[in-house]
Amino acid sequence: MRTIRNQLASVNPIALIFYGLIVWFIVAFLIYPNVNIYYEIFFKDGKFSLDAAEKLLSSERAMRSLYNSFILAVSLVFTVNIIGVVLVLISEYFDIKGAKILRLGYFTTLIYSGVVLVSGYKFVYGENGFMTKLLAGLFPSFDPTWFHGYWAVLFVMTFACTSNHVLFLSNAIRKIDFQTVEAARNMGASTFYILWRVVLPVLKPTMFALTILIFLTGLAATSAPLILGGKEFQTITPMILTFSKSVSSRDLAALLALVLGLATLVLLTIMVRFERKGNFMSVSKVKSELVKQKINNKLGNIAAHILAYFLFLIYIIPVVLIIIFSFTDAHSISTATLDFSSFTLNNYLFVFSTMSAFKPYLVSIAYAAAASVAVVALTLVASRILHKFKNKWTLALEYALLIPWMLPSTLIAIGLIVTFNMPRLVIGNAVLVGTVWMLFLAYVIVHIPFTLRMVKASFFSLDSNLEDAAKNLGAKPFYTFMKVLLPIILPSTLAVLALNFNSILADYDLTVFLYHPLYQPLGIVIKNSTDAQALADTKAVTLVYSVVLMIMSGLTLYFVYGRKSRS
Amino acid sequence: MNMKKSVISALILILCLVVTACGNSNGGNAGQSTAGSNGSGATDQATSEPKATEPVKNEKLIVYTNANSDGRGEWLIEKAKSAGFEIELVGAGGADLTNRLIAEKNNPIADVVFGLNNMLYENLKKEEVLIQYTPKWAGEVEAGLNDPEGYYHGLVKQAILIGYNPDTFTVETAPKDWTDLYKNEAFKGKYEAPTLLGQNTPRLIVAGILTRHLDPNGDLGVSEEGWNEIKQLYDNGVGAVEGEDFYANLASGKTPIGPVVSGTLGKKEEQYKVKAGIVSPEIGVPMIVEHAAIIKGTKKQETAERFVEWMGTAEVQGEFAAQFNAMPANTKAAEQANEAVKQLYSTLKAQALDWGLIANNIDQWVEKIELQIMQ
Repeated sequence: MRTIRNQLASVNPIALIFYGLIVWFIVAFLIYPNVNIYYEIFFKDGKFSLDAAEKLLSSERAMRSLYNSFILAVSLVFTVNIIGVVLVLISEYFDIKGAKILRLGYFTTLIYSGVVLVSGYKFVYGENGFMTKLLAGLFPSFDPTWFHGYWAVLFVMTFACTSNHVLFLSNAIRKIDFQTVEAARNMGASTFYILWRVVLPVLKPTMFALTILIFLTGLAATSAPLILGGKEFQTITPMILTFSKSVSSRDLAALLALVLGLATLVLLTIMVRFERKGNFMSVSKVKSELVKQKINNKLGNIAAHILAYFLFLIYIIPVVLIIIFSFTDAHSISTATLDFSSFTLNNYLFVFSTMSAFKPYLVSIAYAAAASVAVVALTLVASRILHKFKNKWTLALEYALLIPWMLPSTLIAIGLIVTFNMPRLVIGNAVLVGTVWMLFLAYVIVHIPFTLRMVKASFFSLDSNLEDAAKNLGAKPFYTFMKVLLPIILPSTLAVLALNFNSILADYDLTVFLYHPLYQPLGIVIKNSTDAQALADTKAVTLVYSVVLMIMSGLTLYFVYGRKSRS
Repeated sequence: MNMKKSVISALILILCLVVTACGNSNGGNAGQSTAGSNGSGATDQATSEPKATEPVKNEKLIVYTNANSDGRGEWLIEKAKSAGFEIELVGAGGADLTNRLIAEKNNPIADVVFGLNNMLYENLKKEEVLIQYTPKWAGEVEAGLNDPEGYYHGLVKQAILIGYNPDTFTVETAPKDWTDLYKNEAFKGKYEAPTLLGQNTPRLIVAGILTRHLDPNGDLGVSEEGWNEIKQLYDNGVGAVEGEDFYANLASGKTPIGPVVSGTLGKKEEQYKVKAGIVSPEIGVPMIVEHAAIIKGTKKQETAERFVEWMGTAEVQGEFAAQFNAMPANTKAAEQANEAVKQLYSTLKAQALDWGLIANNIDQWVEKIELQIMQ
């Protein structure tokens, strides 16, 4: 206790206000509504019931799906980390011809995801896909329905989930001290030895942070298992989504989400232990910029180039096909056939004529910008606290900020509504339901855990000597933060910002419950016009919207991240 | 550094704009969303108060619907405007909209909801989200479609039919009923099983079969035989795949039999260049009727009533049907429907379904199917 009091005494009043705000935010928006919805779900008739657990345990399908989800999550931790590191080495570390173009290809996962991404892969490997037709032509006995089950899901998700690697691991690899690499080389170390002993240790903190995210992505996998898994490889999240939408089954959804969330927390705790054990920071104080390494072994060099371009093709072909097929019709799309006679601009005309007003775009952009800036600001302050102090309060703070991982987004939305549809003291007796703030808050809340993970990781790779130096020179804490620390962590922070921005743009699951009647966001418009009951050529319209979103996401990345990293 | 600054300042600018926008709407909306129920009366718009007392003046209505795609929403907004109504549509999927309405029931935002099916309206009724209101046109609606208790009234009819690929099956060889699919060996592995139970159509198909085997002593009110049949339905069928359009599989012959919704038939035919054969079972087809209802707790009940009165008239519904190839529930409007639609419906009989019972049980049925029946 004494130490806390001492620490508090040394903190200036402005910082105290900040801390107070964070505590208020956590209590009001993370703990209150979510505990409230848990209470409503598990204490339905005033008493606690274990029915949900019994129901799930006695269901073979639920248990198998849960098992599959964990298998997928663990497999992805290995495959995505391997592919992710390879991508970063190709685009940042080794001297590969055309690395700039290759990088663009590897970046494609940042601009599309979900059902559309999986359909893109289906155009290539699916029953009527180009690769399948090619293989069937070569081997007459080839089974055209080969692309399903565990391996198909793993394949697609491995390549789909490298987005975070190409952003954050690239930032990390640029921090390698080139002099150490040179020194190792002069001492006769082989390329592999340098990679293993010099490069990898620097990447480790980021890889730890990313591993948690891969694990979580694997557990939460929805589109890929639904589309490619078939009967033999079903996962648990589709079931959670179905259950979370029916009032009487919400307890099952909440319980399953809790299991997944706790599993993630266990992994997180283990990772944090690992992180504490070793200090992976680069020892050099005067860093020199990395020079791309030539692969001297001729065969090795050729192999590396072949691998690089092979991966490039895997990444780029689905995107190209989605763009091409967005100019065709439902018949062409479902049979994956291209015919010049079926090319049309009608889909684009349809999308842009029915949206005579561009308002939904503006609404979504405004929400995405506001929420992604807010969530980054919040987690920056939180990370700063976590970085500065280490006690049970900061531990509680960290875990409180991870609460959104414990609930499916549908239930987070419903929790917000049932909590804030009456005046609540904690928010000054205001009623939030029916205001534009609801959606904003929800976006902020669900993006906190991911953002915190990444921002915190970059905070912990900071050299504490820099801060001490600034302090010794008489800089105020705020000044130190803005002028010394922020510029160093800015690349990663901006990358998180861009990722959050893009994921909010077309969100539906959360948005549908909370959006304000006067401000209809893009995700709702897309869903309405591509719904099963819609009359338009829904297949083609889906692809058109995907292309529009790709362009928007691409522009965001370019403005927030691309131009900066180039300079 | 300059770049960074301009990006940040741009974002801050956007943030400010949002905040300003919020401020505006807060004030404009306070009248309907918060008035009377809380202490933030200061934000009430003073100007909206006197308006409410004038009988002929229509206030702006917030209307929830799942039937606004394909230009239907824009059409309605325009029509309503010329009739003197100002409406804002909140469009979303039927199930999502229902959940939202239930969650908001203590402080409703919506004034009117239309387009949902009986099952969802029964849920809303059970949760006390609706008020009883019988519009004048209720008597013109086909018998048996309206809510007997007067909470919701029919606008548009949709039928869930069995469709088949005419190259694979003929009228003679095609299934005669949903039960045929799993009882007849010939259809094994040839039909789509209703696996995506988050959606409405699969839920209604399941309900259409389970309600034939009601038994108060059985599990969840359904006899063992009923559950066996449902099991066979899933065991012998091909699972639906998220993101795929069933009609594409029907057209290609991959899964030649499955559910089709009457309202979309014409367009799908055009898109996939195959005209599906249609089966209308003896027992009747699950008929989804889109209804209109008024939300309990609306601050604009009189305007909402006038709007529902206007919307369901034979005139408006008939014009709507002609424009969007729909089948009105209003018998007077039905004459104005397109020929092909009228012809289709002349051969269809609605399956007698107890919607209250279905609404009470469907969630548990779906849960049981998800956990114990599906593989």
